[in-house]
Amino acid sequence: MKKILTKMKMPFCQGCGHGIIVRSIAKALEQLGYENKDTIIVSDIGCSGLVDPLFDTHSIHGLHGRAPALGVGVSLGLDNPGKKVIVIQGDGGVTIGLQHVLEAARRNIDITLVVMNNLLYGMTGGQISGLSTRKFKEQRDFEVDVPPFDIVKLAHVSGAAFSARATSIKTYPDVMKEALEVNGFSIVEFSSLCTSYAFKKLDQLQEVIEPPEIFKNERIPVRIHQRVTNSLFDKLDVVEKQFDSKIKSGIGVVVAGSAGGGVQSAAKMLATAGMLSGLHATMKGEYPVTVGTGFSVAEVILSRSYVNYTGLEKPDVVIIVSEDGLNKVRGKIKDNDTVIIDSSLKTDEYPDAIYGDFVRNAGKRGAALAALAYWLKNSTLIDVDALKKAVSTHKYSKVLLEAIDKGMS
Amino acid sequence: MVFTDASMIITEACVRAGSDVFIGYPITPSNRFYQYGTQRFPSFLAGPDEITVMQWMSGFSAAGKFPVTATAFPGLALMAEGLNMAYAMELPMLLILTQRLGPSTGSATTGAQGDLMFLNGLISGKYPIPVFSHSDFEDAWDMTYESIKMAIKFRTPVVLLTSKELVMTNKSFDINKLKEIIPVKKFSTEVIEPYAPYKTGEEMVPAYIPLGDEKYQVRINASTHNDAGLIKKNDPESMANTKRLKEKFEKRIDEFTFYDYDKEEKAKKLIVTYGISADASRDAVGKLREEGEMVSLLIVKTLLPVPGAILDIINTYDEIVFVEENISGIYKEILFGVDHNPKIKSVNKIGNLISPTEIIKAVKQ
Repeated sequence: MKKILTKMKMPFCQGCGHGIIVRSIAKALEQLGYENKDTIIVSDIGCSGLVDPLFDTHSIHGLHGRAPALGVGVSLGLDNPGKKVIVIQGDGGVTIGLQHVLEAARRNIDITLVVMNNLLYGMTGGQISGLSTRKFKEQRDFEVDVPPFDIVKLAHVSGAAFSARATSIKTYPDVMKEALEVNGFSIVEFSSLCTSYAFKKLDQLQEVIEPPEIFKNERIPVRIHQRVTNSLFDKLDVVEKQFDSKIKSGIGVVVAGSAGGGVQSAAKMLATAGMLSGLHATMKGEYPVTVGTGFSVAEVILSRSYVNYTGLEKPDVVIIVSEDGLNKVRGKIKDNDTVIIDSSLKTDEYPDAIYGDFVRNAGKRGAALAALAYWLKNSTLIDVDALKKAVSTHKYSKVLLEAIDKGMS
Repeated sequence: MVFTDASMIITEACVRAGSDVFIGYPITPSNRFYQYGTQRFPSFLAGPDEITVMQWMSGFSAAGKFPVTATAFPGLALMAEGLNMAYAMELPMLLILTQRLGPSTGSATTGAQGDLMFLNGLISGKYPIPVFSHSDFEDAWDMTYESIKMAIKFRTPVVLLTSKELVMTNKSFDINKLKEIIPVKKFSTEVIEPYAPYKTGEEMVPAYIPLGDEKYQVRINASTHNDAGLIKKNDPESMANTKRLKEKFEKRIDEFTFYDYDKEEKAKKLIVTYGISADASRDAVGKLREEGEMVSLLIVKTLLPVPGAILDIINTYDEIVFVEENISGIYKEILFGVDHNPKIKSVNKIGNLISPTEIIKAVKQ
C-alpha cells in the first residue's frame, strides 16, 4: 500500500505541533486501510491550511473557516461511503466559521473534522481566538473574563455522532482512528504547540488547555435525497380558446384590495378567462413584503396581440375592494377610467365610480372576484361563462362560483 | 397556451440541462425559484445562510455535481467570498440573481437593475465572471441552457441576471415554442497526460475531473496555485495560471456572445437595453417607427464579459440611448465610463418599470 503522506518536509515552524497531528491522521488512515484516492483532504486557511501537499490524496483548499461547509458539499456530492472526507482547520477557522461546524454536526454529515487548536492565529501574529482558553489568556492578561467556545460539547449537542478533545500526543492516532471509523460527523480537537507565539514545550501547553473528553450520539448520517420528478409544466392547465371576446385591441385592469383578500387569485382567473377567450394575458402583482397584511394589487392586461411591456401606463378599469387597495391606487386613476368600488368605501374622489356590495355579498375573500364578474356582466367584453370556466378547475371552485354569482346579482 | 412565469421556465430549463441539486436560502424576490426547486430538482438542500450555500455548492461542484442557487443582492453580498473561491477553483455552477431595489435591503418586492456594477467588480482583480440576462420567456429558457453549457465548458460559476418583474410576472405562453434541451455532459473525456489538475491545452480550461476519482489525483485550490493545484507564490507557472482565468474567456468570447439586434437601415439612433427594460424598449421602438422615427434596438444578453461584437454594433451609431432601471445607468458606465459623452443618453428610473412613453420621449429629444 502506498503511504498516505508525500515525502515533503513539514512546512511548519520548528517544534510546531501540527506535524504530529498530520502524521497521526496518516497513521490512522493507513491502519484502517484507506487508499490514497479514497481520501479527500479539505483544508482551511492559516497554518493548518498548509497541509494539502503533505497528503498524497485528493485535496481541496478553500477559505478561512469555510472548510467544514465545503466538506459537507463534497461529502453529499460524492455520496460514497467508501470515500473519506477529512476537513482540517485551526481554532481561528472554527471561530469564524462556527455555524458551519454546528450545521455539519446537526445534519451528522459523513465527514471527519480535525481541529488543530494551538490557541491562537499563528499566521497573523499570534492573536487569540474563540478557542483560546482562559488560562492561556491569563498569561497574556487579555480577555480573561471571556471563556472559550467548547467546540467539542457544542458539536455534541448539535448532533455530532462523535466529538472528542485529545490533549496527549500519544493518544492522537487512536482517537483519530476512532473518529475515522464513525459513520457520520466526527470532530476531534487536537491540542497543538505554537512555538512562535505560545509555548516551546508540551508541559507548558498542558497547563493551559481544557481536559480531554469524548461524547457520542447514536445517529445515522444524513445523506442526499435523490428523487425522480416530473416537468413543472405538467401541472399547468393548458388553456384553449372556447369563448369569443368583444375586446378590440387590448384592455388593462387593476384589481386593488388587501392581502389575503383573493386579489391575486381573482386576477389570475380574469387572465385565464381572457385566454379562454383567445386573448393574450399578463398579470403583474404588487404587494408589500408581508404576506398576510397590507395592500395587494394586481394588474392584468388582455390583448389581441402578444404583450411585451407588462406595466400599465393607463389602466382602463380599476376595481377597488378595500381601503388598503384604495390607498394604493389613489392618484393613479385617470378621468376616463371605469372605476368600480365596493360600497363600503364611499368616497367622493371618483364621481363617476360605480358602487357595488361586493364585500357584503361575497365576503372579503370573494369580493374581488365578485366585482370582476359584475364588471364583465355589464361591459360584456368577456363572457362571464369564461370566468366561470376559469375557476372551475380551482380547488375552491364551489366558493368561487358562488362569488361570481353574487357579483352578477 | 399556459399561464406561467419565468421562474418556472428557468427552473425547468436548469433540470433539463442536467443540474443535480438546488441549494437555497429564501429571499424575496427569488422565492419562486426556491419553491419550484423543491418540486423539480433531483435533490434540494436548505442552507442556513448564503455563505454556507456557496460553500455547499462548491463542494458539490468539486464532487462532480452541478449546483444551482437563486438569490438577491443581500444574499449575493454574503456569497461574494465564496464566489471568488469557486471562480479561482474553477467550479461550474449557476447563480440566479433576481434584482430588487437597493441600496441595502431596499424594497424586497420592487424590481430593479442595480447589481451589474457589483458583478463587474465581484472577482478581486476584475477577472470576468460571466453574466447573462434574459428579456422574455423564450430567452429565459435559452439563456439558462447557455449559462449551464458555459459554466461546464469554461469550468466557471455563471450568473443569470434577472429581476423581480421578469420572474414574477405571469404571461400566457405557448411552451411548445421552447427548444429541446439536451443534458450537458459534465466530465472531461479528453485529459492531457500526464494529468495535472490545472494543466490546460489550447482551450485554456482544465479537464473537469471530480474529487474522489479513481484514476486521477485531483487537487483543487482557491489560493494562487500551480498546475498541480498546490499553493505557489509568484512563480511563472502559477502567475500564468492566474492570468488564464481571464484569458480563457477573452479567447473564446464569440462562443457565448448573445444579443437581439433589431436593425433599422439608415437609423442613426440605437436603443441599448437588457433584462426587464427590454419589453418597454420593444414597444417604444414599435411606436417610434410607426411615427417615422428611424431607430434600432439592441437587447444585450451577454452582459459580462463585454463582447467586442456589442461594442462594434454600438459604435456604428451617432446617438445611443441606454435604458436601465437604476439611478444612473450602470451598463452605460461599464461601457463608456463616467465622463460626459454627447453621443450618449440615458433613461433611468428607480421604484417602477421604465415605460415605453419615457423611452420615446428620450429618443425624440
